[in-house]
Amino acid sequence: MLRRLAISCIATALVAVLGTPAGARTRPQYGGTLRVETEGDAWQKPSGPARRLVYDGLTSPGAAGTVRPALATGWTSDNADHRWLFKLRPGVRFHDGNAVTSVAVVSALMADCGSACPWTAVRATGTSVIFTSDKSMPDLPALLAGDQFLIVETGAGSTGPASTGTSSGTGPFEPASFDHGVLTLKANETCWSGRPFLDAIEIAGRRSFADQWNDLAAGRADVVDVPAENLRAAQQQHLSVLVSQPVDTLALELSDTGALANPNVRTAIGLAIDRAALANVIYQKQGQPTAALLPQAMSGYAFLFPSARDLNKAHQLRGGVTPPALNLRVEGGGAMQLAAQRIVLNLREAGFNAQIGPGHADLVLHRIWLEGPGPEAALDRVLNAAGPTADTDPANLYEEERSFLARATIIPLVSLPRAVAISGRIHDADMRSDGTLDLSNAWMEHGR
Amino acid sequence: MSLRQKLLLLFSLTVAAAVAVVSWTVLIRIRHVFELRDQEETALFVSQFQREFQHESADVVAAIDHLASGERVRAMSNDLAQTNDTGAYLNEAANLAQDVRLDFLEIVAPDLSIVSSAQWPARFGYPEPAVIQATSGTFLKREELPDGTVALGIFAVRALRGSEAPVRLIGGKRLDQAFLADLPVAPGMSVALYTDPVASTVGSPFDPKRLVGPAGELPAAANYKALVNTVRASGNQRSAILYLGRRREDSVNVTAIPLKDATGGVLGVLLVSVSRSGLVAAQKHIRAIAYAVAGAAILLTIGLSLWIAARVSRPVEELARAAEAVAAGDWNVHVPERGRDEVTVLARSFNHMTAELASQRERLVQSERVAAWRELARRLAHELKNPLFPLQITIENLVRARQLAPAEFDEVFDESTRTLQMEIANLKTIIGRFSDFSKMPKPELEAIDARTLVDRVRTLYSTSKDGMHFEAQVAAEPMPLMVDPELMHRALSNLVLNAMDAIEDSGVVTLGARPVDNHIELRVSDTGQGLTSEECERLFTPYYTTKQHGTGLGLAIVQSVVADHHGTISVESNAGRGATFILRLPRAIA
Repeated sequence: MLRRLAISCIATALVAVLGTPAGARTRPQYGGTLRVETEGDAWQKPSGPARRLVYDGLTSPGAAGTVRPALATGWTSDNADHRWLFKLRPGVRFHDGNAVTSVAVVSALMADCGSACPWTAVRATGTSVIFTSDKSMPDLPALLAGDQFLIVETGAGSTGPASTGTSSGTGPFEPASFDHGVLTLKANETCWSGRPFLDAIEIAGRRSFADQWNDLAAGRADVVDVPAENLRAAQQQHLSVLVSQPVDTLALELSDTGALANPNVRTAIGLAIDRAALANVIYQKQGQPTAALLPQAMSGYAFLFPSARDLNKAHQLRGGVTPPALNLRVEGGGAMQLAAQRIVLNLREAGFNAQIGPGHADLVLHRIWLEGPGPEAALDRVLNAAGPTADTDPANLYEEERSFLARATIIPLVSLPRAVAISGRIHDADMRSDGTLDLSNAWMEHGR
Repeated sequence: MSLRQKLLLLFSLTVAAAVAVVSWTVLIRIRHVFELRDQEETALFVSQFQREFQHESADVVAAIDHLASGERVRAMSNDLAQTNDTGAYLNEAANLAQDVRLDFLEIVAPDLSIVSSAQWPARFGYPEPAVIQATSGTFLKREELPDGTVALGIFAVRALRGSEAPVRLIGGKRLDQAFLADLPVAPGMSVALYTDPVASTVGSPFDPKRLVGPAGELPAAANYKALVNTVRASGNQRSAILYLGRRREDSVNVTAIPLKDATGGVLGVLLVSVSRSGLVAAQKHIRAIAYAVAGAAILLTIGLSLWIAARVSRPVEELARAAEAVAAGDWNVHVPERGRDEVTVLARSFNHMTAELASQRERLVQSERVAAWRELARRLAHELKNPLFPLQITIENLVRARQLAPAEFDEVFDESTRTLQMEIANLKTIIGRFSDFSKMPKPELEAIDARTLVDRVRTLYSTSKDGMHFEAQVAAEPMPLMVDPELMHRALSNLVLNAMDAIEDSGVVTLGARPVDNHIELRVSDTGQGLTSEECERLFTPYYTTKQHGTGLGLAIVQSVVADHHGTISVESNAGRGATFILRLPRAIA
């Protein structure tokens, strides 16, 4: 009942957002196969669309950076967040029928992070899992909602269908087959959250954006990726588009050795780049110029980092020294290549000689996924791979980010959202706060 | 070299030189005509190519005009004027350029900043000053590209009408390998393009990799260096013949056309090459024919020269052979007399001369023979008169002694008898010498060393006369001779006896032998009264003698012996200082 109510609320919200005529809305229908196309791989970490359809975490990201219960129904902490107890949801089974026990969860968590876990120890106690750490772990529930800590069955007899080469999970869908690059997921009839409306989801990976758009237009796909730079065009073409909050930061990573060993030179590079041009023109105003790692919507303090271009100061900091030619490597295509060209042009104006090329790089342009939920978890994942921060105070977070960015080894440029376009017959598809696609409650108007 | 050979050589050289001069002149003329035609053809090709180039330029203008007049661009211009949202048109230039197949296209805002760039999308917002040079035609311009390279292109600029601050379009085609490949070229013609990577071409080195043709980099790009550099420096069109390989067929007639920007700066050089392989092949064909004709003419000429030379030289050769025969003593030779030319006159004169000479020699021989008989008779009379007179006196004394007493008669008789025997012996001696002179034996040659010959003579005569001293000056080395030892001994003995006769009381006779070149020289010297020059000249004349009782045949016999051994004899003498007889005999081959 609650689930039905939640679906209705989400559907109502989507109607409001997408402006779909109310007369076109119908009650959710069971059945049908949803076809998803994506540029990456279906299982790609950390945001492959199949992962959260097949696997669940102890917690899951909710709206606006909140954390929702998932395989854990509740959690408590004591000893100043040094010890956490997560109570498991009873009666949950993996796709292969094995019960989800606290031992299986601990085993999966250990396999997830190995020796780099943010906690000191984790153990199973009855139907609960207990985490202990030498450091305070105030954002552990948020961390456990992340892709890294999805519960994947381990041990003998734990694998899923041989044709998919994957392990069993507890999600609303389970792998059925993998043929010709298309992963087919079938509905988990005994899912702890209830059977999904869709009978199956077909995920075709490694499809170019152009092919995805063509397939969507031709009715051969129901959900396709929309890169930020094409979001405006998609909206102008009146496609149904789901857009997340900014969850990606386009950033320039600088070497702190060789020609860029001088921090002033690195800072000069940051000042030379015209972030507004990148956001407004290349990313078609779908991104936010930023000099902060965390987007304003996530941290609330990003505006404190000045992002305006200051060519004069860049010249001053460079101090008349012309470093040798800098090589810029781009980890991505499309708009990122264009952004890299723009950065090269900006740098030339500031007296730097830069060129785009593969191999050893002085500069690397890439996108940082700020997986939530919440700024603490996001910043932790970006800055502190070894463990969570001890403080969730925004002021301390700001200070930590500021001191990190002062080294000028990473120069944030633009905060970008994630988006997908969906066909008109798909309802109740949603984007989570971390930018991943949530199809667990989606349904098709005319099931096939 | 014979006269015939000289004539043959002269005729052949003359004709060959004439043929060579004519052939050379013809070939030069043909080459000149071909090159003139080649230049005209190249100029025609270049003209055609320039028209094609202008067509490409016109296509650029038409494409820009088409875009500028299109509704899509007008709508964009209006939208930009109202919203100034340039980001919406980031990819518009690329889409428009693709529609009209332009390599370069930029949409430029009224403030001259780039709204959208097809060739370098990231350049949005940067100024494009080139649009200020808006003209109705095209112009050349360097265009920087994202990969850091610089491309050369034909550009045109159009401003959208109907607004005070118009949006401009600047677009063009890239002058590169693909552009060259699209240009229609005539068979045998090829085009290449050299582009300068930097704005200033002065002093920038020639980079062969920047010279490309429709198929990519030119394989022999370095051969174009001088021509390209000349055009880059001067800014004027130049033509030249370039050899791209070792063969003449690999040469091309190249016209280098400077590609200039609006300010006159050279941005690149367009090379239009026309292969000369056909021309060279035609020239070779003609040259081969010319050589064949010239060779045949020369061979024919040599044949004719042989015939003419033989015809001209035959009388002269006959004359020469006749002259040689005359020189060898054959005065009966006769030269054929043909025709009436100068050589015939010469032959007739020669025949007349030889006939005269033969006649005169006959008369001379007869005269000498008479003179010889007279001399012989005189000598015989003189020689015989001397013994005959004592004989007559003795016989008369014997007749008168018949009246004497027997004892006295016997005494006279005995004395007369001895006198008669002695004079008769004297007569026999005289007759024997004459007999010897007339019957000189033929030499029987043997190998003998000159030292042995000299030593034998010296040993024989060294003690024969008181007051006479013999010396020998003989070289130590072997001096082989092939002579008749007896005849040569007799000749040397004759000379030694003459020397001894020349010395009255006491003196020195010197015998010498030494090798001189290929001869052995034998010398007999005395310290006597010597000989006058007249005596030296007549000394070897038979029956000439300076002695009171000499026959004048001794030296004649010596000369005869020496001559029979293929040698020579001479005399050196000064009056009062003795005389030296020198015999030169050929050295025997060991």
